[in-house]
Amino acid sequence: MRLQKPAAWTARLLVLLGAVCVWMRLKAGQNAFLDYGGTAWRLSYDIAFRAAKSGAGVRAALPYNTARSRVLRETFSYPGSSMYVVRSDQTGGREAITVALSPSKRSRFLAQFDIQVSPRGKLSPDSFREDLSETARTHYLRHEQYIQTASPPVTELLSVLAANKASGSELLDRIFRYCSEEIAPGSDSGPSDAAGTLKNGAPATLGRARAMVALCRASGLPARLVTGFVLGEDLEARPHTWVDVHVGGQWVPYDPENGYSAELPATYLPVQRDEVEIVKAFENEAFHPKFSIHRLRHARAAGLQESRLLEVLDLTRLDPGMQRTLSLLLLLPAGALVTAIFRNFIGVQTFGTFAPALLAMSFVHADWRTGVVILIMVMAVGLAGRVLLNHLKLVMVPRLGIVVTLVVLSLAMVVSVLDYFRLTPASEAVLLPMVITTMTIERFHICSEEEGLFCAVKILAETLLVALCCFLVLRLETLGRLMLSYPEGEFFVIAALIGVGRYAGYRLTELWRFRDMGRLQPPEETK
Amino acid sequence: MTGLPAKRFWSRPWELRRRSVLGINARNIHFLLELNPRGFYPALDDKVLTKKICENQKIPVPETIAVIERSGDLRGLLNLIGERQQFVVKPARGAGGRGVLVIVRRNGTLFETSDCKLLSLADMRYHLLAMLSGSFSLGDRPDRVIVEQRVVPHPVFENLAIGGTPDIRLVVYRGVPVMGMVRLPTRASRGRANLHQGAVGVGIDIATGLTFGGVYRDRAISVHPETGLPIQGIVIPYWSEVLTVAVKLSKAVNLGYLGADMVLDAKQGPLILEANARPGLSIQIANRCGILSRLEMVDEQPERALSPAQKRALAAALPDAS
Repeated sequence: MRLQKPAAWTARLLVLLGAVCVWMRLKAGQNAFLDYGGTAWRLSYDIAFRAAKSGAGVRAALPYNTARSRVLRETFSYPGSSMYVVRSDQTGGREAITVALSPSKRSRFLAQFDIQVSPRGKLSPDSFREDLSETARTHYLRHEQYIQTASPPVTELLSVLAANKASGSELLDRIFRYCSEEIAPGSDSGPSDAAGTLKNGAPATLGRARAMVALCRASGLPARLVTGFVLGEDLEARPHTWVDVHVGGQWVPYDPENGYSAELPATYLPVQRDEVEIVKAFENEAFHPKFSIHRLRHARAAGLQESRLLEVLDLTRLDPGMQRTLSLLLLLPAGALVTAIFRNFIGVQTFGTFAPALLAMSFVHADWRTGVVILIMVMAVGLAGRVLLNHLKLVMVPRLGIVVTLVVLSLAMVVSVLDYFRLTPASEAVLLPMVITTMTIERFHICSEEEGLFCAVKILAETLLVALCCFLVLRLETLGRLMLSYPEGEFFVIAALIGVGRYAGYRLTELWRFRDMGRLQPPEETK
Repeated sequence: MTGLPAKRFWSRPWELRRRSVLGINARNIHFLLELNPRGFYPALDDKVLTKKICENQKIPVPETIAVIERSGDLRGLLNLIGERQQFVVKPARGAGGRGVLVIVRRNGTLFETSDCKLLSLADMRYHLLAMLSGSFSLGDRPDRVIVEQRVVPHPVFENLAIGGTPDIRLVVYRGVPVMGMVRLPTRASRGRANLHQGAVGVGIDIATGLTFGGVYRDRAISVHPETGLPIQGIVIPYWSEVLTVAVKLSKAVNLGYLGADMVLDAKQGPLILEANARPGLSIQIANRCGILSRLEMVDEQPERALSPAQKRALAAALPDAS
């Protein structure tokens, strides 16, 4: 047929275009995007110091990359000084060493780190496996000035905690619970060493963490202090110290201060391991480190990505709220495709072309169970209202207005009643498309009046079936994220829709509809 | 239904292809999109316009009593109707018989419909108001109401059409009538002549105007499902006029693929009710024959400008139309 060619060529062109876009961007390595729900932060160091003599300076530890946070850009400035970065073999950490060029002058070291935090880790846990060498093991079991592993308070408490021959993770759990919960809250004047903390309680900031390290080490578990920052808008950020314990071949983090065990929030950014000072001076008169943390609105403003024209295609650089909205919208074409397949390949009827896809979309980001309960109740009330409205003999637009009012009102009431019975639904569950629901009620009613209740129920069931299938497709989280990273994927959707739109074969339901045609003889022979 | 192979729940796609059955997708893509330009649809979707076109081309249609455009006109409803005992009201942009009221008797301001309901004047006004506001129209747009003569159907289908007016549907392809059926309202269809609402379709031999087996709810039948009366072997009166009117209509509305719906008036013969730009496909079951081979045969005709008589002759020579 005449239209066949342009359609086929358009579809091929779109597939090609989509493939080229995806390929170019994969090649450009544009995978350093902000994750869905990710955040970006800027950590700044401002360290002023006065060197007593030449060769004096400061050492500042630099943030680590972790499974969920990555330093995407760092800038340093050190007017009147020289600076170099060294890496420690022991901890794998880096330090910036700034040396003043001329003594007794004020020097400054400024550093800025743009950090991307994703709620989901990008690396598998295995990538943290780190077997300790014998020297390292001894190092992390050592007795220190403030972590007195062999002092009586530590050993006595340990024998209590290790009652009933608890060992391994059981013992570790008890140690954590003790340090986190049993030690009384303290003040700045309290002890900050392990022995003092366990003896007197009420520790200063480092006491709890040191007590936990000491207990772990005394029980034979290699442990270390980790100091870093908890990312959060803060003009005068203070470093925070937590604990790493080496169990099961990897370092597992614990924060007895804030009560996190085995998993820390993604905003915990380690900077210094096995020590508590982030900045140390050598041969200095004085130094004043200042830290600040600032939330970056989105990755582009943060300059986390070089700007390339292709970047326009990457929607994950937008801020999370916008991403959430767009990922929902970008799924609508997929819903339309599912609906088109059902209607044109299978031959299912639906009330309204987009009703199933829109219904499904409203369930994707809500708890579907509550959503279904609400939908059923709203539909029931709306339909009952519509039947009663018939007696008022109103013309269409005001009548639809009343139905939509009933729908909204019954929705509000259902939510309120559920809340009364302490089944408060999430606010997303209420995102039912009002207009679609209203039109479905109206169409159902008209259909049942004209074609009979059976037909109306059948089409409603088919609408819900298609909505269910749309839902199953649209809720694939990866699909939404994929569309957000590669919106050119919609080209493939258009190509598929062209394919469906040019499908001239029989619909599945026609094999049923024309079931008599297969067996009947032409009229001449039947006569 | 004796002597047929056992019932099956599915036909195989190749069986349908062999019987040259046209499916919805193929109809839409190869015929409607190709031959029925969207721009011509408004004239067909609005029966007031269709009637005007037919009247201009001297194609017979039921006589229009009035066209109501505004709700204000409803106050003068009784004046518009005058003393008529029988009439039909229908939405200009309705589809599938939605909203059509056939008034068969009247006692002052009490109207009796063909399905034996009694309507007061207020009921009638509300119904017309609903029509005007678009309750029965395509796309829910505001609509007009046509009040027209009630056709007295030819008595040939008297015992077969239950509670409504039977009509004749011809599919006209490139000006050639290729397939036809009589549509008989049933109790199930509540007097309406639409197959998907439960009307019976009876296949007609295009060459002779003789009916044979039919279709009811997509199943092939040979007797009326409600009365048990045979539906085969009925000679359609005015058959030659029926074909001529259909050919004329297709020329007037300029559609390549058209369903011409007409009613057989006892005295006036075929009157055009509407031109359907998306005729349904169950007519193939009624005719026990796919429509595709007939369409292809028309396509093979080299000369497009056939006279109506030639077109009718061609129709008579179609395959399967012995």
